[in-house]
Amino acid sequence: MSIKRLWIALAIFMAASFTALGFLGREIQRQEPPIPAAIVDTAGNTIYTRADIQDGQLAWQSMGGMQVGSIWGHGAYVAPDWSADQLHRETIALMDIWAARENSGATYAQLSRSEQAALEARAAVEMRTNTYDPATDRITVSSDRAQAMAAVRAHYMALLGNDPALEQLREQYAIANNPVPDEARRATIAAYYFWTSWAAGTNRPNSDVTYTSNWPHEPMLGNNPTPANIIWSIASVLLLIIGVAFLVWMHARMKHDEAPKAPSTDPLLGMKPTASMRATYKYFITVIGLFLLQIGLGAVTAHYSVEGHDFYGIPISDWIPYAVTRTWHTQLAVFWIATAWLATGLYIAPLVSGKEPKFQALGVNLLWGALVFVVLGSMAGEWLGVQQVFDINTNWWFGHQGWEYIDLGRFWQTLLFVGLMLWLVLVTRALWPALMQKSESKPVLAILFLSTVAIGLFYAAGFMWGKHTHISMVEYWRWWVVHLWVEGFFEVFATAVISLLFVRLGLVRAQTANVAVLFGTIVFLFGGVLGTAHHWFFSGTPVSVIAVGAMFSALEVVPLALIGGEALETYRHSKAAPWLQAYKWPILFFVAVSFWNLVGAGVFGFLINTPISLYYVQGLNLTANHGHTALFGVYGMLGIGLMLFCLRSMASRLAWDDGLLKTAFWALNIGLGLMSLLCLLPQGVIQAYHSIDTGLWFARSPDVIHSPIMELLVWMRVPGDTIFSIGAICVAIFAAKLVFAPREPRKTPDAATVPAE
Amino acid sequence: MEAFYLEIRTVHIAAVCFSGLLFLVRAIAGNIFRAEWTMAAPLRYLSYTIDSVLLTAALMLMTIVHQFPFVDAWLTAKVLLLVAYIVLGSYALKRAKTRTARLVYTGAAVAVFVFIVSIARTHNPLGLFSLL
Repeated sequence: MSIKRLWIALAIFMAASFTALGFLGREIQRQEPPIPAAIVDTAGNTIYTRADIQDGQLAWQSMGGMQVGSIWGHGAYVAPDWSADQLHRETIALMDIWAARENSGATYAQLSRSEQAALEARAAVEMRTNTYDPATDRITVSSDRAQAMAAVRAHYMALLGNDPALEQLREQYAIANNPVPDEARRATIAAYYFWTSWAAGTNRPNSDVTYTSNWPHEPMLGNNPTPANIIWSIASVLLLIIGVAFLVWMHARMKHDEAPKAPSTDPLLGMKPTASMRATYKYFITVIGLFLLQIGLGAVTAHYSVEGHDFYGIPISDWIPYAVTRTWHTQLAVFWIATAWLATGLYIAPLVSGKEPKFQALGVNLLWGALVFVVLGSMAGEWLGVQQVFDINTNWWFGHQGWEYIDLGRFWQTLLFVGLMLWLVLVTRALWPALMQKSESKPVLAILFLSTVAIGLFYAAGFMWGKHTHISMVEYWRWWVVHLWVEGFFEVFATAVISLLFVRLGLVRAQTANVAVLFGTIVFLFGGVLGTAHHWFFSGTPVSVIAVGAMFSALEVVPLALIGGEALETYRHSKAAPWLQAYKWPILFFVAVSFWNLVGAGVFGFLINTPISLYYVQGLNLTANHGHTALFGVYGMLGIGLMLFCLRSMASRLAWDDGLLKTAFWALNIGLGLMSLLCLLPQGVIQAYHSIDTGLWFARSPDVIHSPIMELLVWMRVPGDTIFSIGAICVAIFAAKLVFAPREPRKTPDAATVPAE
Repeated sequence: MEAFYLEIRTVHIAAVCFSGLLFLVRAIAGNIFRAEWTMAAPLRYLSYTIDSVLLTAALMLMTIVHQFPFVDAWLTAKVLLLVAYIVLGSYALKRAKTRTARLVYTGAAVAVFVFIVSIARTHNPLGLFSLL
């Protein structure tokens, strides 16, 4: 296929995909569960107002939001899913009221099975019936239900306060004591939990399916998978098979050029990095520091699921509670990986163009300072937010936004965006001369440039929500950032960078790289853009989201059919000439990316990807299993591989320690594998069983999370995590040896001394 | 997890025995019989595996019995002596330059190992000396 045709295909796919994505967003907004002006009982007493619910969302965000339990399955895993928990507690409370009144003070649990079944059927009708009246903008509940709601509200008021009776439950949930001292704030959080469970348990108008497509699984209330869920699941598997067959056929049809004969010497050996390229050194040191910090916080976070308030006897939840350690752990993952990739962009732009723009090094240094400021400032803000230092409005700006992966306050988020714009300017001005020249690599350069623009601009999707935006729409835009920005455009950027590096090393013909990168981008983004919808299946969205999400996210798995060949080809590059021994470990990290793309993103991703699977396992450890193996396995390994490639050209070759890199490579890969196979995967399977058998609330309850087998499996993380940490420490020692190695004298410090293409 | 206390304790003790035995076999074979296989990769990886199991079981036991290093003296002594044991073991197997030095380090490592076991048995930082 010609380059021109590939460009046309890419343009058409992108236009069609984003139009459809926009249409989905409009539908989500149109059909989101209503936040009523008031929730009243049949006697006309107001129970909650819209302000209570909206303030409740902000208050919930202030205590860590998605980092303390989850809402509609999105968030952390030790505390309950609050929507499922409220739904279950409220239903039991309602049936207890009826049982006590009609069975001489008995509770629901004390009744015979047939009596219980009768109450469950009655509760299902009561709870599922939609009493929202658009004319009055009110939800009306029976006085019995109002009483049940009050009981659950009292429970949450006590739980999120300092009631000694619930101390053990707080510890089991890994929630610090007195996390929300302000009683009024706790009351609004209870209102918010109620509203999210109302949407999960109430049928849409003129439908027998709830606003969340019957999620969570709660058989007692008739919350079971919908027919659409099952049909689109089956269809998605069929499409996956068809997609794989089509791709293999396309691949077989394509002309495969023989790899060029590798040059006899390293083309980059004589290259002297420019001042701005050398300035990226500090970025990579920062990457390693953040990576080590992230691992330490991961260990503390994992330990919280055994000792909810302590770390081996030290009462650390008083200083850095679970909400903070998990926030920092997830946020730092994005920060260090993104820093590695941003630094690669800054390093490679002058390398490709052979030009060093004026004041480029100054810009690179300024950007580094700004990034460090944002990382440290946002972490401090998140800590202060969770400590309830701010009022709920100030918290939203400077504290903890509570949205997983975009936890940083809006002020810090804005600064990060400014930083990304500065990065875009810096990369563009250095890359521009290469874009303007006639060159064989122009298509790859163009993809690199476009992905740079997309990385800069698409983070702005994170500004599309405000303080009081409906959670369904926040989820819509949040996944634009997490899926499209992190998983989409960064991956395109990385593919283009790796191809350019291989072209510069003389291992791949420019023409071959052009076709491969363009074809790969089309295949990747064709599934990837609309595949974003699989994150929204149960976020108060319509059935169309399930249909589009299931089908297109199945297509995301299709390119993995060829990943074995890609990995083999990458590995062969390391053997193409003797001098490539110097690049062996950076290249092997790229091979690891392919492996984890297949296992972490493909196998573990598709395990939870179909609507019917995700219906049962959303918010369980199978999600964490996919998260760890895909985020670190693919993007983390890629970040390390890119970092090593850049360091290879900058560092003293004498200080380069292949032995340390070998240990690091194997320890990181084996450690990650053990973390998954000995802990997260079996934990997720056990939880999935309970979710299918009893309901999601049970799979997330202390009865399951703190069962002997689950706690034993938490400990099974230790061997894998220890080996993984050894790998990270080896990377750190490796970098330290480079830093402290004697510097070679600079000959031309500021002029561009890289060979132009 | 308390339900698995006895099993975890058994695994911990078994790992201690295997770890000590493996070290002794390698040190004697290398330093007395001049065997060359003592630093072979499979043996080194076996040693890492046993020590990982040992460490994991130790952390689990600490959490179950709610006794911790730098809080409870006998565990503090165990951890500090463990560091000494690792350093001495490393010199005994490869770092010491002469055979005699390696044998001395082997003896010292074994003595520390026995003392750690005695601390574990007595739950006293003085170990076997507490019995005097």
